[in-house]
Amino acid sequence: MQFADILASLIHDMKNSLGMVINTLEELTGDAVDGDRSRARMVALQHEAKRLNSNLIELLTLYKIENDRISANIEQVNVDEFLEEVVLDNRAVAHSRDIELTWVCDPDLDGYFDEGLVRGVLNNLIGNGLRYTRRRLEVHGEQQGDYLVLSVQDDGDGFPEAMLEAQDHPAAAMDGGSGRTHLGIYFSRLVAGLHREGDRRGYIRLENGGSLGGGCFSLHLP
Amino acid sequence: MAGEARAVNFRRNELESRSFLVVDDFGDMRSMVKNMLQSMGVQQIDLARNGVEAIRAIENPDNHYQVILCDYNLGPGKNGQQILEEVRHRELIGVGTVFVMITAENTFEMVMGAVEYEPDSYMTKPFTKDLLRSRLEKLIARKKDLEDVERAMTRRDFEGAIRLLDAKIGTRPRNLAQLNKLKGELALRAGDHERAEQVYREVLEGRDLPWARLGLGKVYYASGRYQEAQALFQQLLEQNPRLTAAYDWLARTQQALDALPAAQQTLEQAVSLSPKAILRQRALGELALKNDDLEVAERAFAEAVSLGRHSVYKTPRTYADLARIRVRTRGAKEARKVLQGLQREFPGDTEASLHAAMADSAIAMAQGDEATARARLAEARALYRGMGDDAGAELTLELARTCGALGETERAKELLQQAVRNNHAEEAFLREVGSALGDLGLGIDPEAFISDIRREIIRLNNEGVQLARAGRLDQAVGLFEEAVKRMPGNKVVNLNTARVLIMYMKRHGPDEENLRRVRELLARVKGLDPESQSLRKVHGMLRELLESAA
Repeated sequence: MQFADILASLIHDMKNSLGMVINTLEELTGDAVDGDRSRARMVALQHEAKRLNSNLIELLTLYKIENDRISANIEQVNVDEFLEEVVLDNRAVAHSRDIELTWVCDPDLDGYFDEGLVRGVLNNLIGNGLRYTRRRLEVHGEQQGDYLVLSVQDDGDGFPEAMLEAQDHPAAAMDGGSGRTHLGIYFSRLVAGLHREGDRRGYIRLENGGSLGGGCFSLHLP
Repeated sequence: MAGEARAVNFRRNELESRSFLVVDDFGDMRSMVKNMLQSMGVQQIDLARNGVEAIRAIENPDNHYQVILCDYNLGPGKNGQQILEEVRHRELIGVGTVFVMITAENTFEMVMGAVEYEPDSYMTKPFTKDLLRSRLEKLIARKKDLEDVERAMTRRDFEGAIRLLDAKIGTRPRNLAQLNKLKGELALRAGDHERAEQVYREVLEGRDLPWARLGLGKVYYASGRYQEAQALFQQLLEQNPRLTAAYDWLARTQQALDALPAAQQTLEQAVSLSPKAILRQRALGELALKNDDLEVAERAFAEAVSLGRHSVYKTPRTYADLARIRVRTRGAKEARKVLQGLQREFPGDTEASLHAAMADSAIAMAQGDEATARARLAEARALYRGMGDDAGAELTLELARTCGALGETERAKELLQQAVRNNHAEEAFLREVGSALGDLGLGIDPEAFISDIRREIIRLNNEGVQLARAGRLDQAVGLFEEAVKRMPGNKVVNLNTARVLIMYMKRHGPDEENLRRVRELLARVKGLDPESQSLRKVHGMLRELLESAA
């Protein structure tokens, strides 16, 4: 067995344990009374466990991409329903941190992408967004010309200047440094790039401003 | 914020009144999902730990589960996909039941591994209660919306189902893609190739989607445009090298083009991507056997046998094929072990005993023990006779081969004649008959042999049809009944006999005896080919007759 295969199977196992932890924490926080002091700590635990989980999914996906074991399974998806599910999956954690998590999308918007891969990216972006936003986090879906644009926008301080500059130099983005995970950027870029239509390829964009005035991380899919 | 309002507007009662089955090998996970469901107000929740418990619960007619949440990975025994295959294949659950597959990671491989049946949805662990609720509500609403279509499908009234779908598609709903996909599949099953092609082309105009191109390829294949089909599947695979279904179809097409080594290569690629599909392994084994590639055939049949142990797709033939190969690769002892497995897995099954006897005869022959080989062949022939009309064409062919191997060439030739009579329209099968006939070494030209028999059947059919057209129904009935006696396994002859009997009753009025006979003939055709469109048409004729008489 190759080291990478052992790693992959370990990740798989870790994910199972984490799944248990996350669900149990969800039950516990659901049972706990508001104002209970331990509740806040459980919520923090839950948030960290979810981050760990989406990082593991990232690792597993990266492993598969590197080993050529994955290709995007492009399907027609109703974007509004898709974003609703993504938001529902993260709402409990957002709520417990007093952050309002919502989505904005035309109910009739259809997109073409790999649901599983893009879900992984959005979960990760939301996980990060929850750490850096103040009060609100929005997930947007819209058609811009030939591209479907999915973005996560916050009302925090936005991305540091260095990150905005580094985004055009993929190699530099892998350097450690600021708190935002660069692995996340790398992963998002790979997933976007797996989406192709004719000569067009998916890409990512980091900006400041957006509808809430903070950071705006967008995925542009052909 | 519009989304906010919609998200809280749950259709509570739709969920609460449903009955659920949760299948998971981990107790913690079972109670977790149960708690989630209870907190949504669901009252009727059963739990199962593994495939055996799940199937037992689903088999129980008191439990009409409307939703099944099933984990994919269930430890030893059946996995989730095998449970799905079994309950859908055996029609233990109706088309209205929602089946959700719960998986530990991304589902791509699982989707690709599924050959025949797909669940209604996949969910990746962990998921929150909110997500589960939202997903279930959507699935239940969609099932409800498709209820009438699925009822028509259960009746195999594909034209009716397509009409219903068209009405829904006209309203441009959110699940348009799903409806189009279903419509294309139904048109294909109904044999309406033109309409299926139109559906897929329309989708492809909007976007080059793999499923629509795959569908178009199936249309080409079904209408015998093999060259076009081959080119399409090859191009599709260049762009989507992990689309295993496209390998399956390419291999099928290559087989139709008689390019057997290429077909084998194609399936080998598919199997290396997705080794868990038993039907694919078996197809590979059969191909490799035809190509005389014992190594690949042995591996594929061994996989098919081991995957099949918990699958509804296990068949005695796979064991027999493996045993016949093992005697050549590893000797008689190993081969007989396979046959012991066969008898263990299919206790009291006549077809299994017949397969075992034929394979054992071949093993004895390979050992040079002609006396045993003959004794086992005699046993096989007795079992075959006992099966009567139930013996499928494959069994007839195999018995002919076994007779041939022992030098009983006349008997073998008769069996092959019978096999052709019963399947005069199945090209791929006739090729196998031809090659078996060649192996007998009688110096008979297989093509002439087959075409003589075919001509005779076609002449008989035409004669009968002309008699019927001329209004001489008595004579037509007599002629077809005579033909049925000679070729009881022939779909066309059976159906034509039923047809003239119905025409006869249309003129003279329905009577008990002829009605019973028509139903008998139709039941036999259903056993031979449940999907037959001609069968549905004759059923329609029968319905009309009874309605006009009433």
